Amino acid sequence: MPIEIKHLTHVYMPGSPFEARALNDICLDIRDGEFIGIIGHTGSGKSTLISYFNGLERAKPGTVFVGGVDLGSKDTDLIAVRRTVGLVFQYPEYQLFEETVEKDIAFGPTNLGLPPEEIERRVVHAMQLVGLDPSRAKKSPFDLSGGQKRRVAIAGVLAMDPQILVLDEPAAGLDPAGRHEMLELIRDIHESGVTIVMVSHSMDDVGKYCDRLFVLSHGEVAYQGAPAEVFVHGEALNAIGLDVPECAKLAKRLRDAGFDIPMDAYRLEDVAGYIIDNIGKGRRGA
Amino acid sequence: MIKNVTIGQYFPGDSFVHRLDPRTKLLATIALIAVVFVSTGFAGFAMIAAFVLLTALSTGVHLKFLFKGLKPIMFIIIFTFILNLLFQQTGGVLLQFWIIKITTGGLKMASFMAARLILLVVASQLLTLTTSPISLTDGLESLMRPASKIGFPAHEIAMMMSIALRFIPTLMDEADKIMKAQKARGANFETGNIIQRARAMIPLLVPLFVGAFRRADELALAMDARCYRGGAGRTRMNQLKYGARDLIAALAVAALFALVILANRFCPF
Repeated sequence: MPIEIKHLTHVYMPGSPFEARALNDICLDIRDGEFIGIIGHTGSGKSTLISYFNGLERAKPGTVFVGGVDLGSKDTDLIAVRRTVGLVFQYPEYQLFEETVEKDIAFGPTNLGLPPEEIERRVVHAMQLVGLDPSRAKKSPFDLSGGQKRRVAIAGVLAMDPQILVLDEPAAGLDPAGRHEMLELIRDIHESGVTIVMVSHSMDDVGKYCDRLFVLSHGEVAYQGAPAEVFVHGEALNAIGLDVPECAKLAKRLRDAGFDIPMDAYRLEDVAGYIIDNIGKGRRGA
Repeated sequence: MIKNVTIGQYFPGDSFVHRLDPRTKLLATIALIAVVFVSTGFAGFAMIAAFVLLTALSTGVHLKFLFKGLKPIMFIIIFTFILNLLFQQTGGVLLQFWIIKITTGGLKMASFMAARLILLVVASQLLTLTTSPISLTDGLESLMRPASKIGFPAHEIAMMMSIALRFIPTLMDEADKIMKAQKARGANFETGNIIQRARAMIPLLVPLFVGAFRRADELALAMDARCYRGGAGRTRMNQLKYGARDLIAALAVAALFALVILANRFCPF
């Protein structure tokens, strides 16, 4: 189920003095099985963009296709689309409402009109996927800690069994350990065969996990490509309020100092590996 | 989804009206409402309408927004109009068929009532469109202050009002977000009968209330942390002061009042 977006423009409150262009002529494509990062500073249009991915907003100038289905068309079955594309918003724990964890996770599958046994199966499976202990199923979601609540919310979306999972700042507001766990969890979900789109403003996070990045600035795609291709634009990224990962910075300084460190070394392991291998070998031409 | 609510929506600007003291604007609005009730004929209404329209034009607020506030009460206006049209039976008969009889008196009364309602809403819209919520509550507090001598909690009421106003857009934003999140989980807010729709609101209302209480708690804590202890002995950064333009505004409203009373006396319409 690839996502294809062409010339998408979003105008906020058109016709009023508060009119603003949140997205401007966005073109992007997401292929099956990818781990995509969408990155940009606050107000760059990231969150607006993802609400187009499952038809919460209808593209007026521009088109959005998911698996060949035009989301702008009036005949499109949006429930079917929402089943394919799962959307986890920022701070998803604030959307919990049911009496028990189990019931909250079952909300999505119930809306899909699935038989009770299938709902039950999906709830158990989703809880397992996000690493929630089965003993919590009958608890009130409001009694859980912040990180656990977020897992419940993500499980609620996973229970729809989406082929594409879109997450808006899934690690926002978590402590470093919780952050790491959350990102590893997303990686596990990716490995189970789900296409992932992760919105973030942390270059370190997207650099570590994503195959391909889209950098948004003022509602436009400023850069795109594999992390290594994007991180080359270090200073330009700084200018639009973003930073490159610490390891990419180190690699660049070594490169500038005359070491032959490959361009695609930006992850901690790669840079560290290069340094260990080349210690004592000296610089280019030296 | 939940957008385009104009009641209480401030329209930033720098016109004569925008710069008036909020107390002047509040009192002028009360006076305008009074004068709408004082007027007994269409001549008076025409003057008030001209006054309101000219004032609105001078503020630079788009007229579209002035009349947008009418939408929610359009039903009441039409209802009143039809009721008066059908049951007021004075003057010459204009139209008669079956049991319906429309008279000149009925038509006049119906238009009179509709015009009165429209003027009331549009005139009060002018206040909220040109005054920021903060200065509006400042003005209210200052006007209510004399009553605090007899134990009326003027400051507290003003503070509650400004907090409530401040949180309307925040809560609307939040409602919009929660709605989107639940829609993404297949929730359906748009179709179904009235009971189904009411049930569909639960996934929206529960998180909204939980969020509102959480915010209230956080705000109370933050106010405590900054030593807020109510109105007693509290000074303010922006002191309200009447200026020359407030006098001009007061005179303009007084002149309108006088003209309308004259019109009542000497103009038969």
